[in-house]
Amino acid sequence: MTGPYATAVIVVSLLLCVGALVLLVADKSPSTGAWILLGVLELMIVVFAVGGVVQLVGADHDVPAWEFVGYLAGLVAIVPAAAWWVRDERSRAAAAVLVVVLLVVPFLVLRVQQVWAGTGG
Amino acid sequence: MAETEPGLPQRSTAAGFGRVLVVVYAIFAVAATARSVLQIATRFDEAPLAYALSAVAAVVYVVATVALARGDRTSRRVAVVAISVELVGVLTVGALSLLDLTAFPAASVWSGFGSGYGFVPLVLPFVGLWWLWRTRPGER
Repeated sequence: MTGPYATAVIVVSLLLCVGALVLLVADKSPSTGAWILLGVLELMIVVFAVGGVVQLVGADHDVPAWEFVGYLAGLVAIVPAAAWWVRDERSRAAAAVLVVVLLVVPFLVLRVQQVWAGTGG
Repeated sequence: MAETEPGLPQRSTAAGFGRVLVVVYAIFAVAATARSVLQIATRFDEAPLAYALSAVAAVVYVVATVALARGDRTSRRVAVVAISVELVGVLTVGALSLLDLTAFPAASVWSGFGSGYGFVPLVLPFVGLWWLWRTRPGER
């Protein structure tokens, strides 16, 4: 759960967040390319979540299963939910929403790791 | 008194900056609900008061999210009430948690004025009320 793959998800999300921030400042709404990049991130998240569940089943220590799966489910849902929410938004607000969501994704990945390790509340 | 027609995009609480505000509220709604369900289902006896308050906070966030996202006349009133409750809640729970740490273990979103969430729970109701005021119908 704490391997380079999780770090890759965080890095990609933060890079896209910077991109969304640029769109926000430039007063533009996300282009088709931006949505494809978000799709790539979502794919990475799905793989991360599936891997997480597989590891949970084979875990050699106690992991609060519901909490762990809950965070993974939230992680999988957040990007598509945001995309749906701004689907008709033609202003820079769409980019602003993405900035928020792309900050929450790394936070959720870190929380998943904390729950896995049994640290943090 | 001339009312603006409902449904004008720039008047809706869900358009423009409202898009972002609803997302932040939705994130708190989901987080608070999930956390509360987990607390009540697994360890309610540990701190019934704090966990009951967690549930109240969750409901308030859910109602505020839906009301802001809908943004019609009734929803606007609902949003004002929900966000006012939120404001009172975060201030009360925040103050109480400072006075008596044992009654409120760091379990509620509102403990320590939302310090566990970067104080966003403290700022959010002010922003919400400001936004409702900004988008109020009848403004020139």
